[in-house]
Amino acid sequence: MPVLVKDLEIVPDPWRLIESADDSDGSTGDGCIFPFDYWASAPRPGQACNAGFWVDGGVDVERLRDHLEGASLVAVKFPAFADGRGLSLGVLLRSRLGFGGELRAFGDILPDLAQYLHRSGFDAFLVEDRRAAEVAITSVASITDHYQASVLQPQPAFRRIHTGS
Amino acid sequence: MYQYQDFDQRFIEERVEQYREQTERYLNGELTEEQFLQLRLRNGLYIQRLAPMLRVAIPYGTLSSRQLRALAEISRRYDKGYGHLSTRQNMQFNWPELASVPDILADLAKVQMHAIQTSGSCIRNVTTDQFAGVADDERVDARPYCEIIRQWSTQHPEFDWLPRKFKIALNGAESDRAAIHVHDIGIRVDRDATGDVVFDFLVGGGLGRTPVIGSVIRRGLPEPHLLTYLEAILRVYNRHGRRDNKYKARIKILVRAMTPEVFAERVDEEWAHLKDGPSTLTTAELNRMQGCFSPPPYPDLKDRTTELAEQRLKAPAFNNWVQNNVSRHKVAGYAIATLSTKHTGVPPGDVTDAQMDAVADWADAYGFGEIRIGHEQNFVLPDVAQEKLYELWKRATEMALAAPNVGLLTDIVCCPGGDYCSLANAKSIPIAEAIQRRYDDYDYLHDLGPIDLNISGCMNACGHHHVGHIGILGVDKKGAEFYQVSIGGHAGNDASLGRIIGPSFARDDVPEVVERILDVYVDRRIDTEPFLSCFRRIGMQPFKDRVYASAG
Repeated sequence: MPVLVKDLEIVPDPWRLIESADDSDGSTGDGCIFPFDYWASAPRPGQACNAGFWVDGGVDVERLRDHLEGASLVAVKFPAFADGRGLSLGVLLRSRLGFGGELRAFGDILPDLAQYLHRSGFDAFLVEDRRAAEVAITSVASITDHYQASVLQPQPAFRRIHTGS
Repeated sequence: MYQYQDFDQRFIEERVEQYREQTERYLNGELTEEQFLQLRLRNGLYIQRLAPMLRVAIPYGTLSSRQLRALAEISRRYDKGYGHLSTRQNMQFNWPELASVPDILADLAKVQMHAIQTSGSCIRNVTTDQFAGVADDERVDARPYCEIIRQWSTQHPEFDWLPRKFKIALNGAESDRAAIHVHDIGIRVDRDATGDVVFDFLVGGGLGRTPVIGSVIRRGLPEPHLLTYLEAILRVYNRHGRRDNKYKARIKILVRAMTPEVFAERVDEEWAHLKDGPSTLTTAELNRMQGCFSPPPYPDLKDRTTELAEQRLKAPAFNNWVQNNVSRHKVAGYAIATLSTKHTGVPPGDVTDAQMDAVADWADAYGFGEIRIGHEQNFVLPDVAQEKLYELWKRATEMALAAPNVGLLTDIVCCPGGDYCSLANAKSIPIAEAIQRRYDDYDYLHDLGPIDLNISGCMNACGHHHVGHIGILGVDKKGAEFYQVSIGGHAGNDASLGRIIGPSFARDDVPEVVERILDVYVDRRIDTEPFLSCFRRIGMQPFKDRVYASAG
């Protein structure tokens, strides 16, 4: 069973992933992660409805811009753990489109990818099992601080530590 | 040199422990081969034909005597007492145990070294002119910018899982000694009319299967914007570079598909969002970095022209060495000495532990404890007092590091080839040795003048054969090792790619082919015209005619 890590803790997953529009049963229901094309074409769920969509890491981020309203979650699919396009997508969703909901990585998520995901704006990742989840959480904590700016720490080390004094 | 602060030291130590834990998970069977492959590559560990190979970064080719001694010690303790200087300013160890690599990395961390991102689809060790900071033709010392890029690219949250490997080179001198035209990004560091530092960006150069000369996409970028502009390029590449075919995944393919003009526009669009953001370099940071590379306290010396001339007259071998291996220093009384690893019978770039220790000692005795390595796989002592050159030469001769062949035919650039590398189609080291054996007459070599002969054992082009004046590429022809020969490549300012002369040759024929090419040059050159100029003037046909003429 895949295990969800949210905010660096193992938690039950309240969401249901709808793989394709055919599986959606016309639902706009609570707790569903719809395929993006379905989400973008369907009537938008109401304010009270807790829903979101998923995309491939390689999607053109500008296509998402007009469809983030009402989405409490965006899930990014990593077809292979070494495919870093989803990292750029995460950065752009957070820093350029200002998405503030849950940003989730799923697919082929090697626990060692967690440190990159975390710093690129992902607050949730779905990994293979409990052991992988534990490794993922540990790996995020294994490096105290990094040189460059990130979504998590927008100031690079040279502006925080080496201030030239 | 850049000295680690607490921040750097903590990072490097934590990174070692992170890798130790990854290795343990692999050895426990928790990580598959494919998963661990990606993790170990990001720490420079390949699995080669005979054993693992660990590639240690020598950032922009600069290291201290203490660091070089540590490398010598590692070669003794974990290897067979030697290391290999690569064509990208790294040192490779060919025989470490996979399980001891975390210990090796911990030993490296004690002397502020690492193997981070020396392989894998990520931003690799940034390289520059091995004479940076001391060359008399230097306009700007590129090392502070190299260190800034090293830090920025180290475990970057967004750019550590790129479509393919990514190599950045900088050059700040009039003469391009860093091959910036054949890197994914080549950066020319210069000063504008007001004296401010600016950067020209070349993108999409590279060797490998599809050799390309990089295209200029931006001129005169002001100094503070270095990182934000790099970020824009890397983001366009990370998002749009091909991932379906590893042979089409380098940035050069993307730049070519988009055209350099459109690629530049995409970068500018991206950069508009990043410009003046937090990654913009501050004056304090630029000052701090420049301070790390301030010149050593040179005692006031005069040029020793007369004394050197007398020494050279007395000892012809010393004269040969000075002529080819000693370069002009920007400070009077000093010289730059290149210690050639290209001794006949020794694989190009291979150095023993004793040689490493000796070079470290000479760096302390004759300089300021600093050593460089260049992409031509030689050691460089950047600050030798001219009055000590003779003594250095004598000691280097004893250690087989004084071959007077820098820049000449036998200063062969060569990858490890089929003897070690599992990617190779053919051996490269025996070819180098055969050519070195045939051309052991220094006077003739000197008469031939500057000739870059580069050998790669396969299309991956680690031996940079495309930019050799004479390039040799190992190819597989129905299971047999053959060699394709090209002429006219060049990695410097007026960079060019070699052109293939014709059908490939059996290994035993290669020295004869090289000889015929050189014969044509000697017959056709005008006065002291160098090989490359001669080729550019007369073209391929005369070479082709001679090489493929039936054996006479």
